Amino acid sequence: MLLTDEEKRMLGGEYCPGIQRSIDLLVKLGESFDAERLVPISYGHISYDFSPEEFWDLMTEGVPPTPHRVTTHPSNSPEIWKEWGLPLADNWVGEHERKLKRYKELGWLRTETCAEYLLGIFPRKGDIVPMGGSCMQVANNSLFGAKVDRMGVLVSLAAAVCGRTPLMGLLLPENRFASHLVELDDLDVTDWTMTHYHCLGYYIGDQVPGFKPVVVNGLPPRLPFDYARALVISMPTSGAVTLAHIVGTTPEAPTLEEATGDKRPEQVIRVGKREMRETWERLNVWEDDTVEHVAFGCPHSTIDEIGRIAALLEGKKVKTTLLIGASAPVEALARRQGWADTIEKAGGLFLPVCPSIGNPFTRADIAGDKQAKSAATNSARSAHYIASVGGVKVFFGTEEECVNAAITGRWKGKMPKWK
Amino acid sequence: MRQRGHHGKVERKNAKMEIRAHMVSAGKAEGEALVYNGPFAFLGDLSPVTGLICMPRHKLEGQSLVKKVFVFTTGKGSSGCDFAAWAAKKNGNVPAAIICLESEPVLSGACITTGIPAVDRPEKNVLELIKTGNHVRVDADAGIIEFEGK
Repeated sequence: MLLTDEEKRMLGGEYCPGIQRSIDLLVKLGESFDAERLVPISYGHISYDFSPEEFWDLMTEGVPPTPHRVTTHPSNSPEIWKEWGLPLADNWVGEHERKLKRYKELGWLRTETCAEYLLGIFPRKGDIVPMGGSCMQVANNSLFGAKVDRMGVLVSLAAAVCGRTPLMGLLLPENRFASHLVELDDLDVTDWTMTHYHCLGYYIGDQVPGFKPVVVNGLPPRLPFDYARALVISMPTSGAVTLAHIVGTTPEAPTLEEATGDKRPEQVIRVGKREMRETWERLNVWEDDTVEHVAFGCPHSTIDEIGRIAALLEGKKVKTTLLIGASAPVEALARRQGWADTIEKAGGLFLPVCPSIGNPFTRADIAGDKQAKSAATNSARSAHYIASVGGVKVFFGTEEECVNAAITGRWKGKMPKWK
Repeated sequence: MRQRGHHGKVERKNAKMEIRAHMVSAGKAEGEALVYNGPFAFLGDLSPVTGLICMPRHKLEGQSLVKKVFVFTTGKGSSGCDFAAWAAKKNGNVPAAIICLESEPVLSGACITTGIPAVDRPEKNVLELIKTGNHVRVDADAGIIEFEGK
């Protein structure tokens, strides 16, 4: 790989051990994919709570504050978990506090969200933003036209430390054309909610081999943001899709021809009523109708989603625990609208946590004997991870069905009438 | 050396086979092969506590990857596969080496950060030629896979 003089100094250990180890990792990864060189990044995004402490210490050893911006994924909140009476919260305090202290020394921003485009931190078309978190990788690539390659959480820390990333994969324009085409087969989407788009994305992700770019054809143009986001972020849950074009909605897909680069797709995936019905069934993993927890905000809620949940909860009380994963700034806006108060009066809770993999109510290693044994969610991604990581029963349905479940403690969700 | 084949016939075992491949992650290792014709995710498929495949209904559910040469198609799943691999490695619960048809950046990053020797793009179809139980040597630095095939 061709390195600049500055990069050679970084690799030679002239700065500090953290930079040396980080660039060594980037060079090795780049060379294994025949990358010609490293390129500067627009900004970086990491997860300190998901990084093992030993790795975090090795990669940040001696590293001074970086000149480029770095942001972070949802974080743990063990002090708040304690306030909520979750028995094993104490186990999480020490490591979290140590890593957070170092994070702040580096001058990095405490965005603590998997949806930081909602905070006004989003890439422009063509910006190079290496990051951990497959959900924001696919959102930034697809919805904003950023250049984000598939990348692991540990490697994203190395890229953030160095301000560089290997020139490979989806950073190269020729690799961004869709090779897999999705066509809707006699599906009327007129009455679809966000949850229906989650279900469609989950099916598609499962059908695409590896992380080949996909294009979805046949949806209404200028799809609302919440719907487009739900569709693309569900794909890397059931598979590894990192770039998904939507014809008429996403920036690299004004037409089908532009999304495919005028090439014949390697595979056409057809989605009809049967596929939607089977996927909806597959996302529902439960035996009796008792609901103990309701999770919203995977990915972190938009202000519109919070507004809809508040309207449904107005004057009501919940029987289950109800968690909304949202970034602090979006929660602050919800508070100014009066929506946060409505939700909290009903018994709902806000936290900038990952409500799926890191949901404190469904994780036995946080909630201990208070772990919820069943959870309802409007997100396919959340359903997948709450079931597999938390090992609890999962109900998948619309926002309205989930709010009703929170109020009654019973699941009355129905299979949609696919038209 | 003689071995009893699938249909009760006595078959001769052939001499050593060598296949060239492309280095993903440096190092040399050897062990018993475990061959799986599908993709793999360190996060979700492998228990870092036991080293066993823990994904419910997985074809290899309950089988150990520890000290094996794991042969499969490609990587898949969460970008957290690398920290899951790190946790498994700390417990000594990772394969000795990895051979896959075509790697992807999360799998490659996981192997490089945790120091698991790995190769991909083998010149011959390793999923057919290597059998579970074969003794396999992987020299990732030289890009060579060696095993006793039949």
